[in-house]
Amino acid sequence: MEFLLENILNLVGFLVGLVIGTVSIIGFRNTGSPTLFRLAIAFFSISIGFFVIWTGYMVEDFVIKSGHIERWVQTLGIAIQTVGYFFIAFSHGIKSVFPKSSYFRSVGIFPLFLVSSVQIEHIFRSVSFILLAYAAIETILSYFENRNKGAISVAIGLSLLALGEFLGWYSFVFPESILYFVSMIIKIAGLIALFIPVSRVPLTKIKFDESFD
Amino acid sequence: MAEYRTHLKIIGDILSTTRDDLQDEDGATVTYLIRKANISHSRISLILKTLVSQGLLEKVDSRRSNKYKISQTGREFLQAYNTFSGFATNFGLAI
Repeated sequence: MEFLLENILNLVGFLVGLVIGTVSIIGFRNTGSPTLFRLAIAFFSISIGFFVIWTGYMVEDFVIKSGHIERWVQTLGIAIQTVGYFFIAFSHGIKSVFPKSSYFRSVGIFPLFLVSSVQIEHIFRSVSFILLAYAAIETILSYFENRNKGAISVAIGLSLLALGEFLGWYSFVFPESILYFVSMIIKIAGLIALFIPVSRVPLTKIKFDESFD
Repeated sequence: MAEYRTHLKIIGDILSTTRDDLQDEDGATVTYLIRKANISHSRISLILKTLVSQGLLEKVDSRRSNKYKISQTGREFLQAYNTFSGFATNFGLAI
């Protein structure tokens, strides 16, 4: 059951990240907005992260057949996702903290991760939780400014992903409990909530940049 | 407190004015755009020059002053801008 849920989560994460990243990059190509470029990096990273973990499970299931995924593959996938969450939080940080700074608008701050040889995966999960919680709070604050209903869905999605990461991290304390199972269900719900407003973007009305392939 | 507008938002405001809020069919004067888009003369001159060179605005020579009209490319850009502005707003961001 856990294997099935892992596969559903990773496939949904891969597809949702890919679709939102593609819409963002189309937006960037048509408007030149750096915000959309950062969103594209964020969601492509999230998509790649889920894909890496999904590939790890597939290779384990059909090739290695050891009964558990290679730890470094899971850690790599989560690390790539964390970079994606960082870019979402970073975009909010630019808007809120450095609204007029051309330096911070043009140059990315790369995250500094503490390196532990023991449980790097759980450090990435805790960093992801902080970044997602921050992005969710900023998104809900923006809802109070412009009353855009799509922002509620995105804020709920980010909050559920944050909660899922928190429970995933907490399952480290209780490794064989139901917590990890619950965290996967919550993360799938979060990804679906993220996708809802994006599915309403009327791309068919856009005459795409001819140079966009 | 005044809302901070990105460069792209200012361009969107100028294009929206030339599309939806024209004084007459010949286009909008610089003075009118300054008032509607709430931007200084020195800054709008540079932006208008860029928008004309990019084909988003058309410069119409009249006897007394230059006027600006939105081009077909400008209309398409404005539609894309409005769509993706809404998309970014869903994430609590501005483009």
